[in-house]
Amino acid sequence: MRSLLPWYTRLRVWFRLIFLQASWNYEWLQGTGFLFAICPALRRLYPDAEQLQEACQRHACYFNTHPYLAPLVAGAVLRMEEERSLNDREQFVSIEEFKEMVAAPCAAIGDALFWGGLRPLVGGIALFFAVKGLLWAPLIYLLLFNLVPLWFRTAFFIRGYRQGIRSVEFMQKHKLPDWAIHTKEAAVVVLGGLSAFMSFELLQQTTHPEWQGLLIAVPVILCGFAARKGVSTLLLVFTIVVFIVLLGVFWADLVYLISWFS
Amino acid sequence: MLLTQVLTGALAAVVCGLDRIAVLQILLSRPIVAAPLVGLLLGDVAIGLQVGVMVELLWLARLPVGAAIPPDDTQIAVGATVLTSYFSRVLPASEPQLVVLCLLLALPFGKVGQLMERRARSFNTRLQRRTEDALERGLLALAFRQHRVGLLSFAVAAVASYLMIIVGGLILVPLLWPLLKAGLGYSHGWVQLAFPLIGIAVILGTINVNRAITLFCAAFGMAYLLMWLL
Repeated sequence: MRSLLPWYTRLRVWFRLIFLQASWNYEWLQGTGFLFAICPALRRLYPDAEQLQEACQRHACYFNTHPYLAPLVAGAVLRMEEERSLNDREQFVSIEEFKEMVAAPCAAIGDALFWGGLRPLVGGIALFFAVKGLLWAPLIYLLLFNLVPLWFRTAFFIRGYRQGIRSVEFMQKHKLPDWAIHTKEAAVVVLGGLSAFMSFELLQQTTHPEWQGLLIAVPVILCGFAARKGVSTLLLVFTIVVFIVLLGVFWADLVYLISWFS
Repeated sequence: MLLTQVLTGALAAVVCGLDRIAVLQILLSRPIVAAPLVGLLLGDVAIGLQVGVMVELLWLARLPVGAAIPPDDTQIAVGATVLTSYFSRVLPASEPQLVVLCLLLALPFGKVGQLMERRARSFNTRLQRRTEDALERGLLALAFRQHRVGLLSFAVAAVASYLMIIVGGLILVPLLWPLLKAGLGYSHGWVQLAFPLIGIAVILGTINVNRAITLFCAAFGMAYLLMWLL
């Protein structure tokens, strides 16, 4: 189908999607942001003021998805709006139904892939450099992390616009939920290596024998179980810090007592 | 000096706070980026890096899904860096000890940050109603102005959380330092290690991966043995 929207209008929409959550609220969530983003395209498709107002009101509703995958939905919606403006009738799935249908799975996939998998993975990698005192660690973090979302934001927007309603197939083909699981597994491995690295670095600076560092995995796993049972991070931090500080203060007495008993 | 540092921190708090939810989301708001950024602006990158390492993983397992708001680790990182930078010039203390103390004082304010963000989102609901009214009257420009005002509410929330950390820290650090300096002197290294390890533990406990503990133990054991033997 011939494109009714010139590239610069699409670019404006893509750019405005960066502000998707600027007025996030408890009723429409990202709804206003989505309308704000696609408005330049709607203006072009509906030059008549009444039609434009009607189109805007259609999109003035609840919308929530992952911000990195929102461009896919926006691209597809632009294509569907083009078709609607030409034919003045709905396809077999209305634009509103399509948004509802696609937004939730995109949110779930995006949360698992980007927030649940990629963020800890890249965070773990960057922390290796930061622990070593490398001042470039934040830049490494930003570069490593942002390459993937930038690709998703751009390629998925283009694909969404090209394929319209069929862009769902494109997402299915890429098996993103599987990627989310693989990324999470990689994150766990990296975090395991990072724990070992940090423990080893600290033990080298103390008088403790280095083999004792292997025991550090035990409290980590115990804290993991506590977190799974719902113990808050803040409580874990303060309990452990108090324990460490007290142990530090009374360490000499403790060693003396142990030697006295033995 | 203090005012300059606080204002510089406030600027970073706004930029990083907006990145957290409202704009971009390129993760300038992550503590490993935000804290060294503030450190750089204050001429203390090393302090920022230490703060970033300690806070980065703590609440990483709390995903910003839908209406869920994780504790505001961005403002904790920014606030703790500004406080440490200031007190490192005022108190006769080593940087790592001050980092630990300032961070311990800033951590509970993460909950305040959560509250502030919730207030900002509730305020935005009013903006959304105004948008709805404007759209009904066909005033598109007015409708989209409300969207931009939303940015302001998030910025105000970020600054408010940041200032609470700063005020709390400025009052409490001089009071607590004489009491805790001996204890922190012995154990600050272990406390610095404990922070990221607790974060990793929470991730392990909540990540939805089969055999997460097995994978973690294998990676930990292998890496540790390799470093020890080589």
